[in-house]
Amino acid sequence: MSNVSLNYNIDNNSINILKNISFEVDYKETISIVGESGSGKTSLIMLIGGLEKISAGNIFFKDSEISNMTEDEISEIRRKNIGIVFQSFYLIPNYTALENVSLSLEINKLDNATKKAKEILDRFGLSNRFNNLPSQLSGGEQQRVAIARSVVMKPELILADEPTGNLDSENTENISNLLFNYIKDENASLIMVTHDNNLANLTKRKITIKDGVISENQ
Amino acid sequence: MKINDLSLYSKYAFRDLIRSYSKILSIIITLLISLFILSTILTIEDSLENELNENSKVLLGGDLEIDYNNREGDRDLIKKIENISTVSQIVEFSTMISTVEKKLNKTSFTRIKAIDQNYPLYGDVIFEPAGSLKKLNEIDNTILVNENIFKNLNLKINDIVKVQNVKFKVIGVVKVLPDIGGAFVFGDFALTGKNTLDKLELNTLGSFLNYEYKIKFDDYKNKDKKINEIKKIFKNNDKVKIRYPENSAGGIKRIIDNFSQFLSLVSISAMLIAGIGIANTLLSFINQKNSSIAVQKAIGINSGNIKTIYYLQLLISLIFISLVAYGLSFLLVPVVDKYISDGLGLNIKASFSLTNLFIVFVVGLLVIIIFSIPTVNSIDQIKASSLFRNVFQSLQFKYTKLSISLSLLLLTILVILFAFRSSIPTYSLIYFASFFVCLVVFFYVSQLIILLLRKNLIKLGISSKIAIKNITQSKSITPITVMSLGLGMTLLLTLAFVGSNFKSEIAKSIPEIAPDYFFLGIQNNQKDLFKKIINDTDKEAVTEIVPMVSAGLVKINGIDPNTYISNTNDSYWVIMNDRRVSWANTIPKDNPILEGSWWDTSQPNKLQISLDSKVAKDFGVDIGDKFTLRIYGREVEGEVVNFRLVNYQDLSINFAMLLNPQFAENIPHEYLSTIKFKNIKRFNEVNFLDKFPSVSIIKISDYLSKVTNVLNKVFIAVSIISAVTVIIGLVVISSAIIVQGKIKIFQNLVFKILGFSKKEIIMSSIIEFIISFLSIIFFSTIFAVLASKFIIENIFQLKWLFELNIFLYVTTGVGIATLALIVITNFRYLSPKVYPLVRNE
Repeated sequence: MSNVSLNYNIDNNSINILKNISFEVDYKETISIVGESGSGKTSLIMLIGGLEKISAGNIFFKDSEISNMTEDEISEIRRKNIGIVFQSFYLIPNYTALENVSLSLEINKLDNATKKAKEILDRFGLSNRFNNLPSQLSGGEQQRVAIARSVVMKPELILADEPTGNLDSENTENISNLLFNYIKDENASLIMVTHDNNLANLTKRKITIKDGVISENQ
Repeated sequence: MKINDLSLYSKYAFRDLIRSYSKILSIIITLLISLFILSTILTIEDSLENELNENSKVLLGGDLEIDYNNREGDRDLIKKIENISTVSQIVEFSTMISTVEKKLNKTSFTRIKAIDQNYPLYGDVIFEPAGSLKKLNEIDNTILVNENIFKNLNLKINDIVKVQNVKFKVIGVVKVLPDIGGAFVFGDFALTGKNTLDKLELNTLGSFLNYEYKIKFDDYKNKDKKINEIKKIFKNNDKVKIRYPENSAGGIKRIIDNFSQFLSLVSISAMLIAGIGIANTLLSFINQKNSSIAVQKAIGINSGNIKTIYYLQLLISLIFISLVAYGLSFLLVPVVDKYISDGLGLNIKASFSLTNLFIVFVVGLLVIIIFSIPTVNSIDQIKASSLFRNVFQSLQFKYTKLSISLSLLLLTILVILFAFRSSIPTYSLIYFASFFVCLVVFFYVSQLIILLLRKNLIKLGISSKIAIKNITQSKSITPITVMSLGLGMTLLLTLAFVGSNFKSEIAKSIPEIAPDYFFLGIQNNQKDLFKKIINDTDKEAVTEIVPMVSAGLVKINGIDPNTYISNTNDSYWVIMNDRRVSWANTIPKDNPILEGSWWDTSQPNKLQISLDSKVAKDFGVDIGDKFTLRIYGREVEGEVVNFRLVNYQDLSINFAMLLNPQFAENIPHEYLSTIKFKNIKRFNEVNFLDKFPSVSIIKISDYLSKVTNVLNKVFIAVSIISAVTVIIGLVVISSAIIVQGKIKIFQNLVFKILGFSKKEIIMSSIIEFIISFLSIIFFSTIFAVLASKFIIENIFQLKWLFELNIFLYVTTGVGIATLALIVITNFRYLSPKVYPLVRNE
């Protein structure tokens, strides 16, 4: 990421959300992004995931510059290489746990999508929840399904936005163990936005954002 | 998109549809109703076409018909035909049947068919009691009358009736005749034996007799060869008309075509109104799916593919709905069959047609795509980044230049598909143009209501304030209510005005314009006696008596018009058979000349013809064109010198063709008379027929009551069918309210917390309805008045009047139905549960 800025125009006033952000993420590296509310953390991972257009600068994913790609091209990169975990889980309400997870595999036209989805759910302790709808799952279970969905394609990069923000302490610990174990086992990189210092301390590097600029990178 | 992708997205579409069909139930219902109507029309139209085609031989009465018109066939030629086929000779004539008891004073103007033992060659005569049909040719002076004569003349089997001066024994009742392709569709009819006819002295009927020879080929495989042989037999006899099965029932076909055109337009109106509802419900459905769509985008499905999933859902629904709608249409066929078989003697059976199913599907597809393009395009507005913020923007219809162009193109295809399938495309195009003008006007009316209410000019109570807020809010259902109900209401009011004006004009014409009786077939030597007897009966009776002769229009500018004028032409009746023509010294006062000049008296030996302007237009005739008329077997050429505006609706004496009297007076002729009595009770029909047995009497009030009866049935059927557009409008409004459901629940919850009563909330719904409905009534009435006035004055050429009763019935009926629907639909939102909402569940 090189000199990336993000501005929003509201009522003819330009608001700088992010200013000249530059950093690199190494292979298998885990990074937490911390900062106060409204500092620009979530905006930053949205840009990395190609879900927002930058106002200036360049973003590269491996050797490809994604900042000047079309929406469909970015969708293709995201589909194959990036997994996203949200604070509010966002499972598709009328899909079962199994269908939510196999969706990613199916759109990538992978064989044995159902089998692979079952394997990952089983690995995350949800073998008895395959055919349950999200409304029939607890918050912790929903987030495990959401993580299963984001990692089932074995992405090289996982973006997580407050993955334990809606969970109690017991579930927080379970989910963080599950996420970090998986990253370690599968050699993926992680960029995680969090307010939870304990969770942030589990990452190799911590980037602090303040008023849209990187104030600390260690 | 690759096949693999399509199959995958179809799987998602199918899964989504199965799990969330209840959320698009109003789309399914509106589409099902409108496609059901379209399917029913197509199925019935198709069944009727099949019936007419398959039974064309039955309707004609043979494989071939030789029409000798008013002359008996050449016996030598007929014998030649009998050598190669079976021949049934029929003589048709119209005359009076009367009771023998004078005090009963009952008569009936009847079309009598004198048949031989071979009748019918095809089909069946339905009659009672068994064996009576055969007896007609075994026992002289026997007759079978239709059920209507039997009832009206209070007859019993073996009663005696009089035909002209001859007594006949009624030996049975005939219910259905197979060969109704000709003049037997409406009116009273009877059957008698050909042998009886030969013994009657019917010379006085003269030109009223019609001789037909129906032919059945014993070896149908060689029919072409036999047709050629028959053509050869009549090669030099151009006074004979040969009719084929495909020429039968042209009149019925035209009625069916016109009615189908009207019904098709009603069904497409229902579909277009349904389209407004489809767009609205679909937008709400996509709004509910906002986060799911954002998730799909987040995991890498692009917007185009997500849209494909939604289009596929609509496509799958449509396939299912089309099949169900088309299948259900078969259930209505037996109901329609009952009415049609009673009225026309036709029996229809539903038969599967892949083309019709395809048309139903294509029309549904076009409507769905037209209305769903801006809705499905709203998916572009959903961003995966919303998932991070947990804030989802409410979606709006998305219009792009491409989507607007595509919608317009598809709409044009839809209009063309309907217009050019119809019998009169111009009328369909005018209808569509009016429909879209109304649609645009009603949209702007809704915007005007919102704009005016936003001004908040007057101080109101709390219920009114809530109502106004509901109307003016960004998610208001006012535009949808005004457009969908406005269009349905306009159509219903227009047809109600047309129907009521037409009926009241017909009813009004009995005392004001029309005479009491028509007298046909008064011979030259009876004219003075006729006048005297009428004068003796009622000195104040108004009598009009005109000469009349039978003439056939055999050539127009030297060419047989049957070779280029189709039997579906509005004026085909003029060339179908011989017509009565008359002559007059002066221009009839109700027949103004539109083009040309009255008789050129300097050329008394030249035949000059004054023609009905509509016939001239339908046949493409110009002033100066040459007509060849066959009068008493002799062909005479004349020149068309003027066109008259003939109004047949006033029921006075009108002729399509008038001749110059200087030329025509020398032709042997009879007279036609109309009488309007001051005191109709003084006239005894049976006494009159004793003195004038050959004269036929038509009582106008009887004739009009029959016409009014038919019109009433048609009017009721048309109104019921048109009400479908209002029903669709109501379903659309109901779905719009349901779409608003969540907002209503929140709103009512807040009202509940603030201490509002249910009464105040219901009152706000009623006020909201009244504001919209008054505007709808106002503009619908303006459109309906303009449209019905145009139809009544220009198409039917009658006087238009505003029918207050009809206006009140229609508006009150629709108003009550709409209000009830709004209150019932809103009722479920009146008692929201606080807990789930507080917990954001």
